[in-house]
Amino acid sequence: MSSDPGVHESRHPTLKQYVGIAIFLFVITIVEFVIILPQNFRGAGWTIAPLAILSAIKFAAVIFFYMHLKFDNRLLTWVFLGGLALGFAVVFALVGLFGTYTPSPRAWAQANAEPCLFDHDHGGCVDLAAAQRAAETETPETPAAEDAPPAEPSHTAPAPSGGLAAEGQALFTGRGVCITCHKIEGVEGAVGILGPDLTNVATVAETRQPGVSAEEYLVQSIVEPDAYIVDEYPAALMNATVAGLALTDAEVDALVAFLLEQK
Amino acid sequence: MAHQTAHHTETSHHAPVAEHVEEHTTTGINHRKLLMWVFLSSDCLFFGSLIATYMVYRGQSLVGPYPVDIIDVPITTISTFVLLCSSFAMVRALAATNEDRQGAILFWLLTTAFLGAIFIGFQVYEFNLFRAEGLRIDTNLFGSTFFTLTGFHGAHVTLGIVWLLGLAWIAKKGRLGPKTALDVELAGLYWHFVDIVWIVIFTLIYLIGGFDTGPAVDPSLVPHSITGFLGLI
Repeated sequence: MSSDPGVHESRHPTLKQYVGIAIFLFVITIVEFVIILPQNFRGAGWTIAPLAILSAIKFAAVIFFYMHLKFDNRLLTWVFLGGLALGFAVVFALVGLFGTYTPSPRAWAQANAEPCLFDHDHGGCVDLAAAQRAAETETPETPAAEDAPPAEPSHTAPAPSGGLAAEGQALFTGRGVCITCHKIEGVEGAVGILGPDLTNVATVAETRQPGVSAEEYLVQSIVEPDAYIVDEYPAALMNATVAGLALTDAEVDALVAFLLEQK
Repeated sequence: MAHQTAHHTETSHHAPVAEHVEEHTTTGINHRKLLMWVFLSSDCLFFGSLIATYMVYRGQSLVGPYPVDIIDVPITTISTFVLLCSSFAMVRALAATNEDRQGAILFWLLTTAFLGAIFIGFQVYEFNLFRAEGLRIDTNLFGSTFFTLTGFHGAHVTLGIVWLLGLAWIAKKGRLGPKTALDVELAGLYWHFVDIVWIVIFTLIYLIGGFDTGPAVDPSLVPHSITGFLGLI
């Protein structure tokens, strides 16, 4: 065991090696940063493995060279790795006992949390739709929509027949950013969950308010969203979105024509 | 035997000459050095439990701000670089001590402490910013776990700075050199350990968890470009 008696005899890396390691650590950190640069990659599940591996490499480089475990008595390596292994065991045990290995929110949290993105410029919640528009709307990737609002009988949306309805659909999925919050089965990208499911909106709209036709109801819902708030959905969210859009009457008509086809 | 070593260690500070005497320990390792490694090993458990707590509560906060609302990865990448640089300065300090270059010892010790202080400066800035944006330690689970974990790390760095400044003071008196290199080496081990803990925290909280939304916000709908500074890139 006592092969390496004195601290002064343990060989230390040369200056050149130290500089090399410093550059190596820098480069890895830059690579880590580059991994999360593309917007789609940020927070994506697949990035966890490469990021974890890269930081493990950095970790090893520091302990074996900067802390010169590589050149020291082997016992020190075991002392440290033993503690590290126990540390990992603590993490696995606690996460296994009290959490989940996939960090998806637990049902209780999902049901009770504020559906809010904090807006630190203005306070309150960010208008998601507007922010999305600002970020040059891309079609959101289809998430698992199991938490979507009450399922109505599934069907496939008919292809818009008239020009007006087609125009409406283009607005719905494009500039109008409706798909950010609303779902329509069969319409690509329309998978939002913040607002009511519009899959059968034409049918629903007829009966929503007594004495109000489907068309009138839809126009009102777009122009004056807060006039009637469907149970359990947030007020004001759509109001703010629409205010920012400045839809023309023709555009509203097109949207309504499209929505009237969703039976 | 333990008594002998304790005695030896005690005297070595005042009488550097004694440092020449080879220690006879059953492990063949200097006791102070072994003690330091055992301490660092136990610190893995300490940070392991704080990291586990962060992971258990990740994504379970009921109110904002959530990580995606306020975490600023680029700024923290810069402070990560600063800490990496400080580790390099630390190995230079030890090399200078072994080579008995008095001016260099002082310079590199102070550089290490200075870079550590810059890191702490970034952390103070970040904590203040978060507080101003509504995230306090009692705001939500994210706040509690974030401030506890990064706060304890910051406390480690701060302690390291105090230790380095103490060494620099001794170096200024010309009392550091090859014979007392272990004093610098132990501080170095502690300092590098603090660095590797940050490597883990940075990856976990910033690179992986920094884009977490609240439980009720569908992450696929969140335009990540609104994430402060990162959005500019």
